[in-house]
Amino acid sequence: MKKFWKLAATAAAASLIVAACGGSDSASDTTSAPAAKTDVKVAVVYIGVPTDKGWTYQHEQGILQLEQELGIEVKRVENVKDDATSEATFEQLAADGYQLIFATSFGYGAPMARVAAKHPEACFQWATGAKFLLTKAGGGEYADFPALPTNLGTYFGAAEEARYLSGIAAGKATKNGKIGYVAAFPIPEVLRGINAFTLGVRSVNAEATVQVTWTKTWFDPTIEKQAAESLLDSGVDVLAQHQDTTAAGVAAQAKGAKWVGYNSDVKEAAPDAWLTAPTWNWGPFYIKTAKAVAAGNCPADEAYGNMKDGMVTLASFGKSVDAATQSLIEEKKAAIIDGSFAPFTGAINKQDGKAWLKAGEKAELGALLSMDFFVEGVVGSAKG
Amino acid sequence: MRAPFRIVFEQRSETPKYLSAFVPLVSVLAALLAGAIFLMATGYSVGETYSNMLQDGFLSSRGLTDTLGLSTVLICMGIGAAFAFQMNLYNIGGEGQGYLGMIGGAWAGLALGPHLPSVIMIPTVLLIGAAFGAVWIFVPAFVRARLGTSEIVTTLLLTYIAASLVNHFIYTPNSYFRAPDVTFPMGRTVPDSAKLTALGDTRMYPTFFIVVALALFLFWIVKRTEFGYRIQVIADSPRAAHYAGINARRTTMQVMLISGALAGLGGATLIVGEFGKLDPGITMLGYGYAGIVIAALARNNFAAIIVSGILFSGLRVGGDKLQITTSTPIHIGVMLQGAILLFALGGEAFRRYKIRTVRMQAVAQ
Repeated sequence: MKKFWKLAATAAAASLIVAACGGSDSASDTTSAPAAKTDVKVAVVYIGVPTDKGWTYQHEQGILQLEQELGIEVKRVENVKDDATSEATFEQLAADGYQLIFATSFGYGAPMARVAAKHPEACFQWATGAKFLLTKAGGGEYADFPALPTNLGTYFGAAEEARYLSGIAAGKATKNGKIGYVAAFPIPEVLRGINAFTLGVRSVNAEATVQVTWTKTWFDPTIEKQAAESLLDSGVDVLAQHQDTTAAGVAAQAKGAKWVGYNSDVKEAAPDAWLTAPTWNWGPFYIKTAKAVAAGNCPADEAYGNMKDGMVTLASFGKSVDAATQSLIEEKKAAIIDGSFAPFTGAINKQDGKAWLKAGEKAELGALLSMDFFVEGVVGSAKG
Repeated sequence: MRAPFRIVFEQRSETPKYLSAFVPLVSVLAALLAGAIFLMATGYSVGETYSNMLQDGFLSSRGLTDTLGLSTVLICMGIGAAFAFQMNLYNIGGEGQGYLGMIGGAWAGLALGPHLPSVIMIPTVLLIGAAFGAVWIFVPAFVRARLGTSEIVTTLLLTYIAASLVNHFIYTPNSYFRAPDVTFPMGRTVPDSAKLTALGDTRMYPTFFIVVALALFLFWIVKRTEFGYRIQVIADSPRAAHYAGINARRTTMQVMLISGALAGLGGATLIVGEFGKLDPGITMLGYGYAGIVIAALARNNFAAIIVSGILFSGLRVGGDKLQITTSTPIHIGVMLQGAILLFALGGEAFRRYKIRTVRMQAVAQ
């Protein structure tokens, strides 16, 4: 008991002392030595928890690489809602002297930009972001691009490359030509993934269709499972997903179907169903950005990684992917990496059969980033 | 072996004055003690954790303004809940009425904002938000007043529908509430004339003062007016009220509609305040549910709700920042917030009941 009172007294005293120093919100720890080459204070704001075996887990792997490479400890802030209330979190991190702040969800953009404008000394990086959306024209608050804070960058990658490859595995695996896709929200990122996947499927199985079900959530194992089961009940024998958990895979395995995962190589979740998965490797980007900030630069561009630079990867194959399919996928992967092939290369028709790309024509990045339609072979509505 | 005595709870006919202040104080201390044991057991520093929570929730200038900013909507939800609770009407759907307030406020802002100046727009957004909240509780109020249908079930179920409505308005293509020409589903920001600016470099809005004034005004209404007196009589004894010629049906309708309107107002403060648009994120924040706890902590006393709302808000602000300022994970912060509330509410039992021990022998004979 004595110890407790001692602690309580310490707590009271401590709070008084801190209070006395209160008001110094800038909180610059002036004690820190002149920055060594990799001496940089880094924080990451997670939409979920690092144990989700999906989106956040994969970012955590990248952060762990960063910590090892630079020998620093990164501050993690978990379960932060990505709406206007997240501004307090970014404000606190900036006030606490974090020089580099990564944020891993789309909704953090506007609040983070507001804090970035007030804290030019810190560097902000917005995953899955698009600066266009911060401008008035994109529904945001800033007049135009030049008005945006210059210490804000975005990062994301061409998951469509790996989506296409995983589609080949799915197209070879389906017996009845009916594939299901459990998808989160009808936004360009997801539509792009579904379309690339479908192109991959139909490159080896021209008559196959991909039926899409919307869950309107990134992370909800129960809803994801229900959506997967309703697709399985409708007769699909392969499932793909744009969700954060492994619920679809577990449902597929229970029905003897096959599964293409997303985000992480989590074969063990449903080993019999597992085909492969498009995955992310954020580590190199995190390391590169932290080193730049340590050297005094804040990369403020819109980074878009791919399979060539290694931000986008394909997970290991499951046992039901035969050798011929594996070598076909490896071949396409090599072509993507050396630049001789891109998934969105014509001729491609839209869902209604009308032409989108002429034979040999490659889609522009801008068209991919604002995609709002399905290609031929997808069943379902691109409007959600 | 039987215990030689047992513990008996006896209802107090009257609560001694000193207990009203003593019980909440001891409750909070007990909660801090329980939290300290948990922190020590899990290996986190008690002193660092508590001093940081206090610092980030109340003492630093940023912490205090964040707390007052968040307390605006929480106090509003609290007085909304309490207004019904005081007449034993359990409107637990303030959450959903708040969503409707946000929808109404956003609609008013988007539709009228481009044509009207700020002086007119701000009250309009707030009033239309309140009206939408009242509309959302109209059916539960009507069936409660006419048929005696439990408002607990109806108001709660309508909350789920309200959440679906918010999602519908944002995820439907070409929805009025959705940002146009953008393929990302997100709310359309209301024009500047429908938005207040934060006070200085804070996240606190002038609506805080409106809400506090409103709470004090309700305090006066309940204590000093005939309407307030009617509510008290019905709450204490519906039968006596009936004999006294009080129209309980009409008062039930009035009280529930006002309760819904206050919750709707809470939602609308987010439109003129930090959100500035209809945002499906609101369905994750639970402000309306928090209002129930805030009302209970203040025992439906409107002046006390200002205090309990600010305390609750500070607890949330301080607890949420724990994972930034210390090495404590988010779950510990949430656990401490929960423990403090649980103890504070549990302490109520000691205020209402006298606790005595009775010798078992005496009972056996």
